[in-house]
Amino acid sequence: MNVSDLSAPRRGQGALIPLLLALLVFVGLPAVLAGFDRGYFYQIANLALIFILLSASMHLVTGVAGLLHLGHAAFYGVGAYTAALLSTKFGLGFTVTLPLSGLVAALIAFLVALPTMRLVSIYFAVATLAIGQMLYLVMLNWVEFTKGPNGIIVTKGLELFGFSLSGRLATYYTVATVVALCVLAIGRLSHSYYGNALRSIREDDQCADAMGVSTARLKLEAFTLSAFFAGVAGSLWAHMTGYISPGDFKFSESILILAMVVVGGLGSLPGAVIGALLLILLPEGLRAFGDFRNIMVGLVMFLSILLLPKGLLGEVSALQLARRQLGAAWRNTVKGEGIGWR
Amino acid sequence: MTALKTASLAALMTAALAGTALAADTVKIGYQLPLTGETAQYGQDFRKAAEIALAEFNAAGKPFKAEIVFEDSRSDAKEGTNIARKFVDDKEIVGVLGDFTSGVSMASAQVYKDAGMPQLSQTASHPDYTKISKYQFRNIATQAQEGPYNAKWMLSKGYKNIAVIAEQTDWGQSVVSGFTDGVKANGGTVVFSEFFNRGLKDYRSLISKLERAKPDAIYTGFFYEDGAQFLRQVQQLGIKTPVYSTSAAYSPKLIELAGEAAEGVHLTSNFLPTDPAPHIQHFVTEWKAASNGAVPGQFPAQAYDAVRIMLAAVEKAYPNPTREKVRDALAQTKDFAGVTGKTSFSADREAEKELVKVEVKGGAFVPVAD
Repeated sequence: MNVSDLSAPRRGQGALIPLLLALLVFVGLPAVLAGFDRGYFYQIANLALIFILLSASMHLVTGVAGLLHLGHAAFYGVGAYTAALLSTKFGLGFTVTLPLSGLVAALIAFLVALPTMRLVSIYFAVATLAIGQMLYLVMLNWVEFTKGPNGIIVTKGLELFGFSLSGRLATYYTVATVVALCVLAIGRLSHSYYGNALRSIREDDQCADAMGVSTARLKLEAFTLSAFFAGVAGSLWAHMTGYISPGDFKFSESILILAMVVVGGLGSLPGAVIGALLLILLPEGLRAFGDFRNIMVGLVMFLSILLLPKGLLGEVSALQLARRQLGAAWRNTVKGEGIGWR
Repeated sequence: MTALKTASLAALMTAALAGTALAADTVKIGYQLPLTGETAQYGQDFRKAAEIALAEFNAAGKPFKAEIVFEDSRSDAKEGTNIARKFVDDKEIVGVLGDFTSGVSMASAQVYKDAGMPQLSQTASHPDYTKISKYQFRNIATQAQEGPYNAKWMLSKGYKNIAVIAEQTDWGQSVVSGFTDGVKANGGTVVFSEFFNRGLKDYRSLISKLERAKPDAIYTGFFYEDGAQFLRQVQQLGIKTPVYSTSAAYSPKLIELAGEAAEGVHLTSNFLPTDPAPHIQHFVTEWKAASNGAVPGQFPAQAYDAVRIMLAAVEKAYPNPTREKVRDALAQTKDFAGVTGKTSFSADREAEKELVKVEVKGGAFVPVAD
């Protein structure tokens, strides 16, 4: 991409889109939800938000760093199980389990990723597949610890330092705040020097290595960070539904999240968000079509990949959008030419 | 993104509005079940059975007409909770049936618990399901009931050392624990117990491991698909150890898929399509007419009864049935004469069921006295 294509952000314009998005998520949508006052709409909004976080976290490792990850749902599960076990065994609340879920998922990701980080392309994908299956089988078969297929009933709902946040609107705001903060962090990670370094690994890891980019370390970091956010999503899910079982985190969930990232646009954060919205809202919206809805969802996915192989909002347009509209981290020369991320 | 959301909200609204345009003397109940996905074969059967029960109810000249809203959960907890919220939102729905698996039933139950919606599952077998709240019911015998019954049966046949295998699900867990408790209490020994993952194709290593423990008989917790695979491989390996199973394997498809290998398998059931009682024969005839002459198994019969129990409770709560009134009427269900035997709900909303002993002989399930 030609750098001179990227015009400098004007100050007022730079904050417009983030402001509108924040207004939509924290004012517009809640107002609509409260207007309808239907638990179903709240539920779908919350579910979509959780999957936005999962899709965005996978975007970091699969989209930006270009590592095909087939075991993401397992880290989502590790987060959910951490939250569930901590709250049922030690009576800890959401305020504590939320960060711990992310940290435990990140720790496990770090440990399992250590030996696999020198693997490339398809070999890495198969390794993540194995990691995902291993973690799933631990959740399923270590009955004494995880209660296995019996699952866990999580009696503690969402709360903040002891204040219950289990009302409909409160739940929505909690989930939305956590997801928005995480997506913001992922956005800063992927639209920065750091993101560019990850992209360089995706484009040509040997070249990146030769240029002094520590590819193994960066891969490890991206993998661990992505697991952290997946773990946070798991904690949200565990406290929100009140019951989790290994079936919620099986291989097909990893594929669902991968599909969100790919349909939305590999390497594009807005794309990951759109992909998650599409694949959560579409099957629900098509309920009226009964048994045909899965075929229709499949058809929409097929056509979108066929007609828009770079995704609904591809990486190039996503980066242009990020640089022009969310230009906070984009530095210009005195003449107003963009020179790069801070 | 906004357009997409608005569009789907609009679509949902239209669906919701279409639902409210019903006559006043129609009572709605919801049924969440897997109509697609890995367990669709069960959900499709449930819907067929429910439609038979519903058509009969509406043809019987009752003071009101009933309607069932079917929603596909794909045996996925996400979808199950979405459906639960949807049903709760619909003020006309006074009771809910389903889901198929305990996992989805329990995730949905968290919603029904808070909303005060009575939920009756035809199959959820998780020991904690009915403990979630006073709104959860099931009309299937749990393994806490069936396990000891089968243990006594096997011990009375002189089998003292028994091997147990079951699928790695919450239900499989309860099969093993219920049965093991029963065996221990009656002086037998469980010499081997192991779980396998659903849909396993190769049971040979499990079978040879099991045979090394030299059991007098094998007790199994599986559904018909896994059961047929297992039985065929037992036969291929030339093993003659008698096999016993639970009512979950009771399906004509077990014999269809396993063929000769199913001969001599003993299991329990609470539904016998060959029972000459008129209400059972009526259901079997209706089912055959709806499914190209196939004989119904245990699960469709469970669903048929569940729908009728729910409709009877709604009728008791009529006029002006509310969710609370339907719940109370359900809780009072006593000796409901269904095709799976008489159903009464105990104080903790568990079904007390009578079991029948069955053996596969000459390619058919034949009731046996002992």
